[in-house]
Amino acid sequence: MRVKFWGVRGSIPCPGPHTCKYGGNTACIEIRFDDLPRQIIIDAGSGLRELGNFMMGHDLPKGPITTSIYLSHTHWDHIMGFPFFTPIYIPSTRIEVFGPVSHERDTLETIVGGQMTYRYFPVRQAELAASISYANLKEGRFDLGDGIVLTTKYLNHPILCLGYRFEYQGKVLCTAYDTEPYQNLFCTDPNEPEYDELMAIEGETVAREQNEALEHFVTGADLLVHDAQYTAGEYAPSKVGWGHTPMETAIAVARRRQVKRLALFHHEPMRTDGQFDLLCQDYAQRGGEGGPEIFFAREGEEIIL
Amino acid sequence: MDIAEQLHKTIQDYIDRMPSLSTTVTKVLEVCNSPKTSANDLNRVISLDPVLTGHVLKLINSAYYSLPNQVSSLARAIIMLGLNTVKNLALSTAVVGALGKKSCFTALPMDAFWAHSICVGVTAKALAAARSVPSAQREEYFVGGMLHDLGKIPLNTCFAEEYAQALQLAALEQGSLLRAEQLLVGVDHGLAGRLIGEKWRLAPSIIDSLALHHAPEQAPDEYRDLVATVALANLYTNIYEIGSAGDMFPETPFLMSILDIMGLRWADLMPLHEIVQVELDKAQVFLKLTERENS
Repeated sequence: MRVKFWGVRGSIPCPGPHTCKYGGNTACIEIRFDDLPRQIIIDAGSGLRELGNFMMGHDLPKGPITTSIYLSHTHWDHIMGFPFFTPIYIPSTRIEVFGPVSHERDTLETIVGGQMTYRYFPVRQAELAASISYANLKEGRFDLGDGIVLTTKYLNHPILCLGYRFEYQGKVLCTAYDTEPYQNLFCTDPNEPEYDELMAIEGETVAREQNEALEHFVTGADLLVHDAQYTAGEYAPSKVGWGHTPMETAIAVARRRQVKRLALFHHEPMRTDGQFDLLCQDYAQRGGEGGPEIFFAREGEEIIL
Repeated sequence: MDIAEQLHKTIQDYIDRMPSLSTTVTKVLEVCNSPKTSANDLNRVISLDPVLTGHVLKLINSAYYSLPNQVSSLARAIIMLGLNTVKNLALSTAVVGALGKKSCFTALPMDAFWAHSICVGVTAKALAAARSVPSAQREEYFVGGMLHDLGKIPLNTCFAEEYAQALQLAALEQGSLLRAEQLLVGVDHGLAGRLIGEKWRLAPSIIDSLALHHAPEQAPDEYRDLVATVALANLYTNIYEIGSAGDMFPETPFLMSILDIMGLRWADLMPLHEIVQVELDKAQVFLKLTERENS
């Protein structure tokens, strides 16, 4: 498996002189297989635009483009690249889009394609030349053919969000963003008037179970792409409940779960290249002996598994 | 389509747009619109509304989540779905309720129905505690009790005229409402409850609480204690006339058979009075506070 980062930021694209090195586009990861004519894309953030341009020059001359896009969730930074993905304007293109949909009654097609209405964009979804199908994805295990197996896992984010675990020929790529450690949301201080013992106990149990399940999901990954938007210092005072993980937690999980390489991902848009370089000197060393190789994901970087 | 199928379809079509109870709507809106809502408050406000509780459990048990084990606890649903998802769901349900409140609850007074539901939930939970049911399972007893009469809502709304007649008949005969429903509507609230539970994919134990609280002996072994507890809590609530859900005349042989299933005597229920009253008062204060703030 060849895994390439086309977008590594969270929240919003942040181009500029201070983000050239690590990149300013939002989430988009491409997987290719040396011995299979298949391509899988995870997320359609603004990085998808560059990937589309690359595919127009690299793939289209060889024949019609066929690809699958797996959306982690439908927050805007993960779907905004779709209208600018040039292959959707080519009649021979075939695209399957998969992703989770929350309880709202809208379909995945309405949510992703809904960006392409005259209100927001000059081209309507109905006018797209490519053949595009949409499928709602849930938690489960799926045989994608050609020996590729996909496991999906719900993550902890303010909207339904999936982590993906792709396995091929004994190698494992796992994504776990956007997510945050589950916590007991109920009051645990018996001195508070709203304290309820049963709620406090159950909250504790459920959070522990869910964190265990999440960690189990990433166990043994050759490459884990994990949410690491904040440092622990940034997270604790004001970012709890936003659906993102402190770097320290991502590293601890990777170490506990025998992950081989950990790509810290979904970068805070305010973070500059200079700040990353400084953080890198510290955090990249935290894998410990025999522990994971740790790095901050960089746009354009390719990892071979 | 025969008549029975038609009745079922009418109920099933109504289930998904079944509104929240207007008794709780104001508080739901207040709690869920506040950016500072605590999980405790959210749990509390939802657990005071049987329809909303059902909707939240439906969401987490629905195909979208396809979880291996069905969830029957609100606290678990809140941790797993997150505060925002649950708040948004509660808001959308509550808004439907606020819009729809005039057209529903024509024959059953809503506030009385609400008080009855809460009381059965609280009593079932207190009975579970008194009988040393492990604390992790007591929430299920509350939910089962709280939701047990949910089947009356579609009957009361979709077949308002027939349902009013059924209530009158039960009152005239001083007899079972279930039988009057069967005679005049053609569907009783146990069956309607089962249709709701199945459509919402509620846990089997909760479905049986909705469907079999007038016949707990028919519940499978593993849920019989829960269903019998709900049945007993229901009789207790009716005998002491706390709120009302139209079933005013409990039959003594039925009461005896449930006490028998549970190995209890009627006198064993006396210590519950205070616990139930305290819980009911707390719920009323919680809700009425809002009405004052909004008036």
